[in-house]
Amino acid sequence: MSFTEILFYVFSAVLVVSALGVITARNPVYSALWLVFAFFNSAIIWMLLEAEFLAIILILVYVGAVMVLFLFVVMMLDIKVEELRAGFTRYAWLGLPIALLVIGEIGSVVWVKSQDDKALGLSSVASPAAYAADYSNTKALGQLLYTEYLYPLQLAASILLIAIVAAIVLTMRKRSGQKVQDIGAQISVKAKDRVRIVKVAAVQPETGNTVEGQS
Amino acid sequence: MLQNYLPILIFLGVATGLSLLLLGLGFGFGALFGIRKPYAEKQSTYECGFEPFEDSRIKFDVRYYLVAILFIVFDLEIAFLFPWAVSLSKIGAVGIAAVGIFLLILVVGFIYEWKKGALEWD
Amino acid sequence: MISLHNVLMLSGVLFSLSVAGIFLNRKNVILLLMCIELMLLAVNFNFVAFSRQLGDLHGQIFVFFILTVAAAESAIGLAILVVLFRQRKSINVEQLDTMKG
Repeated sequence: MSFTEILFYVFSAVLVVSALGVITARNPVYSALWLVFAFFNSAIIWMLLEAEFLAIILILVYVGAVMVLFLFVVMMLDIKVEELRAGFTRYAWLGLPIALLVIGEIGSVVWVKSQDDKALGLSSVASPAAYAADYSNTKALGQLLYTEYLYPLQLAASILLIAIVAAIVLTMRKRSGQKVQDIGAQISVKAKDRVRIVKVAAVQPETGNTVEGQS
Repeated sequence: MLQNYLPILIFLGVATGLSLLLLGLGFGFGALFGIRKPYAEKQSTYECGFEPFEDSRIKFDVRYYLVAILFIVFDLEIAFLFPWAVSLSKIGAVGIAAVGIFLLILVVGFIYEWKKGALEWD
Repeated sequence: MISLHNVLMLSGVLFSLSVAGIFLNRKNVILLLMCIELMLLAVNFNFVAFSRQLGDLHGQIFVFFILTVAAAESAIGLAILVVLFRQRKSINVEQLDTMKG
């Protein structure tokens, strides 16, 4: 067993434990933190699988942005955890066998395929050649992404645009009755907008009456 | 290939070991030598001698959420730019044009957000 | 060298754990979204493993797009969740039965 394999087993064990933590944690905040941990371990395993760029993107985008968003939402809504936890194990009798069934199905397929030496077997695929010392995963991805995947790239941009617009339309609300300082208006104001010069006639002492000003 | 990342692994190991050691020292010495006599009055929560008036967890404002969304989108945009920047010498003018359109689409979203006032804090 | 079977089994275990999570946390929309993220992660494991095994980078490009779409999905999903909470003061799935026939 090589060193890489040992690392893989260690980090997969931690990954499975943290996935268990996600689904069983008492508090949604803890679930989110377990999920962050799961993403970290996945990034390490992807690094072991020599998908370096994706590993870094997983940490940058998922841990750095998406999970922060999840944590914001959990903090933003005051959720009554007890109410949502009620009947936590009510459908566990259904969930557990289904989970075991999925594991069993995938496991049997993988096992059969790993036994099979014929054309469709996994072992018939030659194990991958080692990359050259100056091989750059990011560079290779870039060459593929910006030559063959031009159209999907623009679609991805459109999806991101939709995400911006949808988030603003859904969650933004204007508060009324707020006193906001408009700095641009303050700077561009002219003297004649603010000051009105009123000519006032002098008071005449003979009559004793004040004379109204004439503008 | 992978041995280039050995320093990161060593760093991870040292960080994990050190944090476990410090936590273990703190809790271990506390459990061994600390004096622990809890009673109901001592364990009750209070603020400056009063019963707490409200829940200690305050709700975040929804504006943080909008900022986080904006951050996600532009984080992904930067993520798309990394491979572009690295392989720029190979992909040539087509790549530059592709990224131009890509950025243009996202700038439309940015202008929308700006004009809607989603970036204003007040 | 990590063999393909191990990664496939790991992703199967992750996927089934998130399926079980959907059954367990069926009331809490936030946890449902997190379980979906975990499922997508399990699927991405398959792509990365096959990409490594076959020496074909298209799988990694696909993972990149999955990550993009998943980020947009969770952003919009959480926005809907925020609006929902504002309207109903609850994120309990069982109370969202207005459209029940």
